Amino acid sequence: MRTLMEKEDLIKKWLDNDLNPQELKAFEALEDYESLLKIARFSKEYTAPQFNKKKVLDTVLISPKSKKHTITSLKKQLLKVAALIAICFSTYYYTTTLDSNFSTTLAQRTSIALPDNSTADLNAGTNLSFNTSKWTENRAVVLDGEAFFKVAKGSTFSVLTADGTVTVLGTQFNVKQRNNYFEVTCFEGLVEVSYHKTKTILKPGESFISIYKRTVKNTEIISSTPDWLNQFSAFKSIPLREVLDELERQYNVLVDASNIDTAKEFTGRFPHNNIDTALQSILEPLHLKYKIKERNIILERE
Amino acid sequence: MNKKDIYNDMCEQSRFESFFNKHSEHLHNFLYYKFGDRLDPQDKTQEAFVRLWENCKNIKPEKAKSYLFSIANNLMLNEVAHQKVVLKYTKIDKKNYSNESPEFLMEEDEYREKLQKAIASLTEPQRVAFLMNRTEGKRFKEIAETLGISTKAVEKRIYGAVKRLKKQIDGF
Repeated sequence: MRTLMEKEDLIKKWLDNDLNPQELKAFEALEDYESLLKIARFSKEYTAPQFNKKKVLDTVLISPKSKKHTITSLKKQLLKVAALIAICFSTYYYTTTLDSNFSTTLAQRTSIALPDNSTADLNAGTNLSFNTSKWTENRAVVLDGEAFFKVAKGSTFSVLTADGTVTVLGTQFNVKQRNNYFEVTCFEGLVEVSYHKTKTILKPGESFISIYKRTVKNTEIISSTPDWLNQFSAFKSIPLREVLDELERQYNVLVDASNIDTAKEFTGRFPHNNIDTALQSILEPLHLKYKIKERNIILERE
Repeated sequence: MNKKDIYNDMCEQSRFESFFNKHSEHLHNFLYYKFGDRLDPQDKTQEAFVRLWENCKNIKPEKAKSYLFSIANNLMLNEVAHQKVVLKYTKIDKKNYSNESPEFLMEEDEYREKLQKAIASLTEPQRVAFLMNRTEGKRFKEIAETLGISTKAVEKRIYGAVKRLKKQIDGF
């Protein structure tokens, strides 16, 4: 008796037509020999129907390969070119219509040349964006923070902020838009401020201030540029919390004013180049003390 | 560009023809074993080659065979649900051995019927490999090449088919 493995091996070799004479003898001696042979004999009747190679090949070869082929390749070339143009165009369109964006972090300033001869100086912690490609039709910038604009003569120039819109024709003005604080100061020309549906015209030296929605129009003679460009901040009857916010922005510090009343109004100025002087300038008139711990400044009553 | 074309696609006629001569009959028989004759394997073979010819520019020679077989297979599958094919498949014509005794012929016919049923009961891969081997006398290696599988897998399929047929016919 042969083992199952040997038997299986012989049958496989027979199927693969791979038996040597010795193995053939062993295979013929298998008890399944007759039955396997019968399967083999009758399976042959399942031969596939005649395949007419020549006829099929001829039919295939007369099918329109070359014609279709050139059309598709021409189409493809055109498509490729079209796609390339589309990509170039959309990239160009995308990049040019994309808003240019400029920001300053705390204790940082920058000066930006706008697409015409106008300029914008950004104070600390400010974000300004505008669209270069549409500049000629629409001179508009979006401002979050504080900036001083020198606008070249030309079409209407607008500054859009979360609180209000400032529109001018060619002038110098400063816009400050901080939390609950909105201030526009005109230095030259005429400035129109749209604030909550009311319109205010500012002449040189005038400023428009809104603190917690309470608006004030100030007509004080001021210098030709905003104070912050001269390295100090000046305030007139402004709540202390706004003053401290400005201090935080200029020096990149954190002021802890939890122990004092920040609603008190402050009139005065502080410099941007010396924090001790700045703190003393603000705090002494109000009889307050301060402690500095790294970036933190803690305010206390005297 | 021209030189590249010659070596990288199937558009050159002599290359296409030799490819056709090498594979057309295999494909035809494969389709027949797999799907039976009702769906006209010759027609599908022809159509698969037409597709290859039309797309010759996009097909690399080394991919042509698998492209051809999958196209043909899809053409078949698109046409009809699978089950029907197998049933139809069993109606295969029989040869006449006229100089045998009536009893013998009857016996043979009985056997044929059994075999028919048994073949129909094989799994599709088993049947394709088995019939390639038995009707065309192809060796495992050739079958493996045509089907794009390993020789070992072919061996397993064919042996499995034989074992199953024997069991169905002899009852053990």
